[in-house]
Amino acid sequence: MTYHPRENRSPTPRRRVYTRRDFVQRAALLGIVLPAFPSLLAACLQREDGDAADLAIGTPASPVQQPLFDDNPAIESDLPPEEGPLLLYNWEDYINPEIIPLASEALGVEIRETTFTNEEQALAALSSGEAQYDVWFPTSQRVAVAVAAQFIQPLNHDYLPNLGANIWPQLADPYYDQGSRYTVPYVTYTTGIGWRMDLAESADIEGQANPWDVFWNPKYAGQIGMLDSFTDVIALALFRNGVTDPSVATEAELEAAGDALVELSDSVRYNIDVAYDGLPNARYSIAHAWSGDLVNSAYYWPDGVDQGTIRYLWPAKAEGSTVHGPISSDTMAVLKGSERPVLAHMFLDYMLNADNSLTNFGYLGYQPPQNNLTPDFLIGEEYLAEELAPALVVPEDFDLDTAWVQGPLDAETEALWAEQWTRATSGG
Amino acid sequence: MPTNLASGAEYDTVGQRRWVWSGFALPGVIWLVLLFLVPFYAIFAVAMGQIDPLLQRPVPEWNPLYWDPTVFGEVLADLFGGQLGVIALRTIVFVFTASALCLLIGYPVAYFVSRKAGRWRWLWLLLILAPFWINYLMRMMAWVNLLSPDGQVNRWLETLFGITDPPSWLAGNPIVVVFGLVYGYIPFFILPLFAALDRIDDATLEAARDLGASSFQTFWRVTWPLSRNGVLGGLVIIMLPMFGDYYTPNLLSGAPSTRMLGNTIDQFINQTTSQGAVGAALTIVLMIFVAGLMFYYLRAINRASEEARR
Repeated sequence: MTYHPRENRSPTPRRRVYTRRDFVQRAALLGIVLPAFPSLLAACLQREDGDAADLAIGTPASPVQQPLFDDNPAIESDLPPEEGPLLLYNWEDYINPEIIPLASEALGVEIRETTFTNEEQALAALSSGEAQYDVWFPTSQRVAVAVAAQFIQPLNHDYLPNLGANIWPQLADPYYDQGSRYTVPYVTYTTGIGWRMDLAESADIEGQANPWDVFWNPKYAGQIGMLDSFTDVIALALFRNGVTDPSVATEAELEAAGDALVELSDSVRYNIDVAYDGLPNARYSIAHAWSGDLVNSAYYWPDGVDQGTIRYLWPAKAEGSTVHGPISSDTMAVLKGSERPVLAHMFLDYMLNADNSLTNFGYLGYQPPQNNLTPDFLIGEEYLAEELAPALVVPEDFDLDTAWVQGPLDAETEALWAEQWTRATSGG
Repeated sequence: MPTNLASGAEYDTVGQRRWVWSGFALPGVIWLVLLFLVPFYAIFAVAMGQIDPLLQRPVPEWNPLYWDPTVFGEVLADLFGGQLGVIALRTIVFVFTASALCLLIGYPVAYFVSRKAGRWRWLWLLLILAPFWINYLMRMMAWVNLLSPDGQVNRWLETLFGITDPPSWLAGNPIVVVFGLVYGYIPFFILPLFAALDRIDDATLEAARDLGASSFQTFWRVTWPLSRNGVLGGLVIIMLPMFGDYYTPNLLSGAPSTRMLGNTIDQFINQTTSQGAVGAALTIVLMIFVAGLMFYYLRAINRASEEARR
């Protein structure tokens, strides 16, 4: 028997005398364990090192088309819709609960939603094959992986008239999936800085050449919140240090970003609700924020506190700012294993409808990239306060040189990022 | 051969009976295997496994022959002298401080309810149990509201004591996190201790007094030794979940200076794509440490019951 080179410890079983009683006991135990063996065995046999994946990762500067596979065709046109129920696999709390009965009525089938709390969990469920859903909501940065792993199927645009009619050209033909071969856009957002004018006016965040630096302003120590999301935080520190593309940050740059975050050990707190809940309740004066969280924050204000003090800035677009900043979008896709692909296409098109996406936005706060949902319209209709106009994305934002889109990190790079995150969060 | 027959029959009944009685262990054994051993093995398989080249996710390695201990070694090295060591040490300090406070606060309460509360005992027990009716997370969130800068606690401080510049409770205050742990877990400490104190026979205390012991001596030489196992049991019950707690520091602080080991494990397992093995390795180390505490407890209990038998 040959051992695998990775093996560097041979097992050394202790010798002992087995009595008949031992034998019976072990046999009984084996009877319990044995049924699990085929799956264990199957798992062991799968070990062959696969080829490092050839992923088509796009950026606004160099868009990519996702590959098609012979064994993963799109559905034919003009097929009749299948029987329900239609099964959605979505982020927790990431669709207006009122949309589901409405869509259900419009499509004439029952719609059920299963949720996941992070994308890792979703990928695990999809790769194990245990998840049997029809529609999934991947982030744009995962599209390449989802295509290569054949989790999702190509779309037949005949079922999606709203895609061409309503969606911003930048995302109807997006950099991560040219021609929308596999996905349609769901919502879009930037990552920036939210703050309370009454608590942090003197920081003059809007007037800075490097707005990210406000998190290091000692005046606000203890009132600073950052997203408990390590890629966002490390990217923030890299931007603050003047790095323009965190995806290719060197080890030294990562180390410097980690150093900068260690400086904040006593002044920053990391939580996922720093912006939408933390700012309204004054737990923070300045918060690292996703733009959609600021729109949502309107629901979290205590009675009698003036909501007009909230502000948002995306440093990549701020006047006089020289630093870069993240922009992103989430998508909808039809899973390859879907048993109701026609219905799934119809659901996608339903969500791309202008009225329906407005209804969804009213609850979600994250913005669908719809042509007619302009900042003027949304503010005029009082979907958000005028002060929060910077929290809305406009199509041209994707064209800015300072806009950065996050790609997936390979294991080696992610280990380096995670190392800095551990330094930053250990608090020395 | 009548003698042989007789002894054979006897053996059969005994054997049969033994199998019947040990059969009662079967549900427990199945439970342990399915819900403890298999998952525990899976954690090892992830900690020593590989990474899927396409998804960049950890792939559990079920065959121990192919286990790769690199990550495990790195985690151990970092625990003894690295950043993880700082977090581990802080976790131990937090948990032991919170447990000591639980003992200081909980013992008098349990003692009072079991021995002094008289006919109002049921009411006291009810009051101690009441927090169980509300989910732990909800109770912590309530504290977030109470302790927020314009929350009720600060308002009371201002109206009652004129304190207009109160400390910022939620801005990464270790005392608040330890307080949260005490508040959250103390009922779990009081209940087993109450049961232990309640079991003490009044006659032993009366005997001590009859033999001339003062009330303090009676407590120190009779009540305390007899309740020690209840104290240990209560401490084990609260310390084990405290070591894995991550939502208390998350909700009440979120600052780097109050992060516990549970936060770090959560971070590696839930936030990263490829670093799950680090989280799994940390989980194993934590389990081994906690098992050490558990063994100490079991040994103490064992010794005590042997002494009692003597």
